[in-house]
Amino acid sequence: MSKQAGSIKINVWINEERLEALEKAGMAQLAEDAFAGMKLLAISTTEEQKDLLLERYPSAKYDSATTRSIELLPKQAKDRLLGLSIEMHSTGPEVLGRFLEEAQS
Amino acid sequence: MSYIGHNGKPIVERVSTANAAGQIEGLPRVPISKATAHEVISLSYGFFTPLTGFMGRQEVDATLEKMQLPDGTLWSIPIVFDMSAENIEKFDVKEGGSVVLEYLGAPMAIFEISEIYEYDLERMAEKTYGTSDARHPGVKKTLAYENRFIGGEIMLINEPVFNEPFSNFWLTPKQHIDALVEKNWKHVVAHQTRNVPHTGHEALMKQAWFAANEDMPVDNLSTGVLVNAIIGQKRVGDYIDEAILLTQDVLRTSGYFRDSVHRVSFTLWDMRYAGPREAIFHAILRTNLGCTHHMFGRDHAGVGDFYDPYDAQNLLKQYRDGLGIKPVFLRENWYCPECQEVTNSALCGHDSKSQSFSGSVIRSILTDEVKPTQRVMRHEVFEVVLDSAAKYGQGSPFVSEQYLKDRLPVFTLKQLEELD
Repeated sequence: MSKQAGSIKINVWINEERLEALEKAGMAQLAEDAFAGMKLLAISTTEEQKDLLLERYPSAKYDSATTRSIELLPKQAKDRLLGLSIEMHSTGPEVLGRFLEEAQS
Repeated sequence: MSYIGHNGKPIVERVSTANAAGQIEGLPRVPISKATAHEVISLSYGFFTPLTGFMGRQEVDATLEKMQLPDGTLWSIPIVFDMSAENIEKFDVKEGGSVVLEYLGAPMAIFEISEIYEYDLERMAEKTYGTSDARHPGVKKTLAYENRFIGGEIMLINEPVFNEPFSNFWLTPKQHIDALVEKNWKHVVAHQTRNVPHTGHEALMKQAWFAANEDMPVDNLSTGVLVNAIIGQKRVGDYIDEAILLTQDVLRTSGYFRDSVHRVSFTLWDMRYAGPREAIFHAILRTNLGCTHHMFGRDHAGVGDFYDPYDAQNLLKQYRDGLGIKPVFLRENWYCPECQEVTNSALCGHDSKSQSFSGSVIRSILTDEVKPTQRVMRHEVFEVVLDSAAKYGQGSPFVSEQYLKDRLPVFTLKQLEELD
């Protein structure tokens, strides 16, 4: 992927099923062409949220060198993040905020 | 058939399984780790030719100081057997004596002890890795060695029996050479891998095939790519071994490589991530498998930012005369949306638009179980990734703590009562 400056992100890769869900929510335009014809939905996080997430998912990694994204989150976590993103009509840090709240409860 | 390895030295198998029970009678039995068991196997079959055992002090000194063995043969990585002084006493290990090396409760090899010595671990680490930073995994491994080293020759008395799917890909150096002759390959280019192949890897192998074919005619093909995977110590997040071998193999069985130009095998080796010195070691290793050429890409065998991307290639160039294999130097492949293809950074001028095959991005796509486009990964490779995850990886193509605990072993050994 091209190097991107800016905020920390979680990349949710988009297949047909996920694209359909985004289309139904009127959010398909947020799925950006990312890599060799593949689309992703980028959900922004804060530095603090990133640390909390990495603590909760030790197998996940933060790619600080190239993409500034949190990678290797389990599929179930990505599915839930996408669900919350659609529910909240947002790709901002509030999505991860809700996700972390749910995880605590 | 002549079996000649690195620096023109004969490949000699040190295997003696007849009357194994009798051979070991009365000898002390020393348990060894998986990493040491891998090196015992490699030493015994000649993967490390001309080494016939674990190094003594003089060999380690020459390796670190001069990048050679005492006879002048190019060598880059210390191959050592460590043991605590306490265990040396406990197991009655003495210079001039022999012990039985035991792995997972089974006798494996006879170790003829020629030397017991101490070594400065920091010096060993600094010379091998070019750093003494303990964050480097190789440095960490070296600094964790016990306080004594034992040098001496190895004789395998109990041959490993490889389990599926490894048994389909295991070849000794002599068997490699036989297999390459059978394929009628005059030139063989080695591809070192610990990865599931994406299209960037595939393109690199194809570029290397042309480089290795050199001026040979192409009406009858006599150049091959030997994909030689490294199977050894795994870290959480690595691809599982089974997925690596099976996905590399499916590139050929699905026709992305002709049957006549491609073969997959593996070597047991715990990566040191020694960058330049490990590149030299890989060149030596693949010379012993009968390869004539070896691919070296960007940041070969490196880790983090300990080495510059082309350090390994530069060191290989420096020691070119001592190598029995021709290095094929490659730059990274990337996907270019302008060219609309996977292309090499040495050729494509659309730098600002290039999309690089970051390992973490590919892993992220696979973790999401989102089928990659054909430009990223062959669909057959993706299917094998999912199958391997289900069959061998408890649902994941990546190493987890559970995989490390529950995985099927790569090989097993006969127990004492089953030996001759």
